[in-house]
Amino acid sequence: MIPVFGIDPLQVVGGTIAVAVLGVLAGLVFLGIDRKVTAHMQARIGPPIRQPFRDVRKLLCKDSIVPENAIPWLFNAAPIVALASAIVILLYLPAGSIAPVFGGYGDIILVMYLLTVPALAMVAGGFASGSPYATVGSQREMVTMISYEFPLAIAIIAVAWRLAAAGIADPFSIATIAANPVWSVVGPLGFAGCLILLVVLAWVTPAELSRIPCDTPEAETELAGGLLVEYSGRNLALFYLASGVKTVAMASLAVALFLPWNISGYLALPPAAGYAADIAFFLLKMLVVVFFSVSVIRVGMARFRITHVVSVYWGYLAGLGLLGLLLVVLDVAFGAGVIA
Amino acid sequence: MSFLPTIPEILKQFFRKPATNAFPAKYLPPSVTGFLARVGEGTASIHPPIATPPDFRGKIVYDRDTCIGCKICTKICPAHAIEFIPETKRIRIYVTQCIFCSQCNDACPVNALHMSEEFLIAAENRYAEDLIVE
Amino acid sequence: MSEEAKKGYSVPIGPIHPALKEPILFTFQMNGEKVEKVDFAPGKAHRGIEWMGMRRNPVQIVHLTDRICGICGVSHTLAFSRAVEQVAEIEVPERAHYVRTIIAEYERIQSHLLWAGVAAHELGFDTLFYLAWRVREESLDVIEYLTGNRVNYGIVQVGGVRRDITADQFPRIEASLSYYEDLFGKMLTLFLEDTTIKMRSRNTGVMNQQEALELCAIGPTARASGLNMDVRQDSPYAAYGDVDVRAVMPEQYLGEARGDVYDRIVVRLLEVKQSIDIVRQCMDQMPAGEVTAEPKIPKLLALCKKAEGEAVGRVEAPRGECLHYVRMDGHEQPLAWKVKASTYSNQMSWLKILQGEQLADIPIIVASIDPCMSCTDRVTVLRDGRRDVLTKEELHRLSVEKTRRLQS
Repeated sequence: MIPVFGIDPLQVVGGTIAVAVLGVLAGLVFLGIDRKVTAHMQARIGPPIRQPFRDVRKLLCKDSIVPENAIPWLFNAAPIVALASAIVILLYLPAGSIAPVFGGYGDIILVMYLLTVPALAMVAGGFASGSPYATVGSQREMVTMISYEFPLAIAIIAVAWRLAAAGIADPFSIATIAANPVWSVVGPLGFAGCLILLVVLAWVTPAELSRIPCDTPEAETELAGGLLVEYSGRNLALFYLASGVKTVAMASLAVALFLPWNISGYLALPPAAGYAADIAFFLLKMLVVVFFSVSVIRVGMARFRITHVVSVYWGYLAGLGLLGLLLVVLDVAFGAGVIA
Repeated sequence: MSFLPTIPEILKQFFRKPATNAFPAKYLPPSVTGFLARVGEGTASIHPPIATPPDFRGKIVYDRDTCIGCKICTKICPAHAIEFIPETKRIRIYVTQCIFCSQCNDACPVNALHMSEEFLIAAENRYAEDLIVE
Repeated sequence: MSEEAKKGYSVPIGPIHPALKEPILFTFQMNGEKVEKVDFAPGKAHRGIEWMGMRRNPVQIVHLTDRICGICGVSHTLAFSRAVEQVAEIEVPERAHYVRTIIAEYERIQSHLLWAGVAAHELGFDTLFYLAWRVREESLDVIEYLTGNRVNYGIVQVGGVRRDITADQFPRIEASLSYYEDLFGKMLTLFLEDTTIKMRSRNTGVMNQQEALELCAIGPTARASGLNMDVRQDSPYAAYGDVDVRAVMPEQYLGEARGDVYDRIVVRLLEVKQSIDIVRQCMDQMPAGEVTAEPKIPKLLALCKKAEGEAVGRVEAPRGECLHYVRMDGHEQPLAWKVKASTYSNQMSWLKILQGEQLADIPIIVASIDPCMSCTDRVTVLRDGRRDVLTKEELHRLSVEKTRRLQS
């Protein structure tokens, strides 16, 4: 194949399809594990792990109903955009020792922007539904988005800035962040700061994924499903897949930022086995992230009111993030960090 | 975690056994009636339900031979579930109407009515043979 | 369209909505997330039980009353039996009073735990919902053990109870009481010290003492607003005169009553503890003797048939006072039977406590009075098809007409 604008089309197309399929599969498996784990924490047996696959299959068999008040094209386009944009995020994130498909073309700031696209698609779909519940849900989703964006940005920027301060070139590139674990360049102060930032990122995840305590946009008991209330059949299945892929994306972002180590370096393995071991280790790390930042949080507390979402994210978490950032800055200022 | 007291509880619970009684099976079978049919054939095993206590009020049992046709039960049945058949001077009980109060048991002068332990009696047909006791 | 209506939008909640466990229609005029105006239309769960009752004799109605409500069935049964016993002048044996009290208190335990679970679910806290309902099973098991059924106990009969609680059943009761006592502290911590629950329920749905008085709130809803009232304390029935029972007030736990949702959680949880203590006392003091005034049902029926007069039976149900009015005139069927469930008195407080609150808090505030629509819905107007709201004047006219009809 002839490279077009420096890209090998075959590699990109093949890679994208592979990432899409694997991302969707991994997303559904993570949703299944989350449900099972959640059930066990609540002393229930819970559904089998393959339940999300069954749910999707059943939804795909069903009709998509477009409500009378809806704007059909926007209503139908929203789930497709949500799923597609969620998959696009994965194209920029590394999986184990496998470099991202678009690794050389985007950086962490782009990922931050991309993360908002599925949410925006849901907002558009909600407004297009023409139901008061969905409208309220969409408004809440927008407010939630504005709230968590700031703490998320602090966590990401702090890590990249610390790497830059350590003299590493191209610090915003995900490949760089993944290749240079931030923990290895910081001193004790910075270590504490990074731990705080990790907590902040773990708390941003439920908001990003619309899970309890931040599931206000969907809020089953209040809005009966909120912005998804009018969705059914294939469209709902696409949103469901998108939420699975988003779970994978958030988990792999957290892994790339804070837990980027691979194990193939420590085990003398042939290259193929090394890749497999890294992928397995990567999935394990993601599982840990999902467990603590999705399952435990959603089982352990009540739903926030939308005003709480704003005050918690703009107040406590932004404050916490700034404290973490300050510690990282002090770390550099006191020169405790070893310049790599 | 004094501000979120549930978190330690759920982490502890994670390592314990779930409290659910896995009746009739651990996971819902694709078809419950099909599953029960397979249990009847002996090809599948059912997880037992929680045992009923003594004096449980389940499906009614009628002793036709002891009955003297006094009609007291038809008069005191709150649900009008008992019908008197004048030709045979015996009663007929519609279990779908029955509210399992067992008042007829108390009222029967000859002890011809009893409550059994059977409670898995749901069916699709109101007038199924099992659901009319006579 | 008026200027005001243009500003906001209206959100219907109900008749079927995940926030509601029973059908009722709320219409909210919203301004952003804030509730501007509330209206509700009950009557969606009307089943004509009173109509059925007028065609049956008291011995049959007793089991019908069990089915007015799935949660507080025995309260209705008790209130109805007490009314009929007064009309027919039947003396209930002492031991039957104690059995009734024990069953009624077990019902309070299971009802309050059920409510606690529902409240947690409305807050999006499903873990506590599962916990509360899991713990509730114990009381249901005991009830099943004592009465033969989990939900419609069918243990109370006019003149007494149908089953005795024997000495060999005491260890099972004792086991469940200590199970709840061990668990009680943990439940208090999980429900009352959780930051997210506090954030959601503190200062939401506030109704102060004066407003509670004006809106005629009763039961835990009134007690949470600082009204010291409880039928068990104010006009004891069954064995409550012999045991130590005082209205549970939020002051006992928090030092003050704010009348918010949090206080309602506090009152209900503390009442679980109170019920445990009452069952204990009943077991200790239970006198020997018969459990029914008339074990032969045909004879009981004859007694009821002879009766003439009217009476009111009052019972403190888990949700508040439950009142049954019965009038008999020497026929087998009562001439009139009127049920006033606790939610009937409490539902007007919705208009006050929902006003100015956020959309997000509607489910928990609606649930905070522990509404029971199937208890309450005694009237639905079908005649004119469209008109399903009766004005005060119309209602008054209809009541006067009915009273005249009864008196003639």
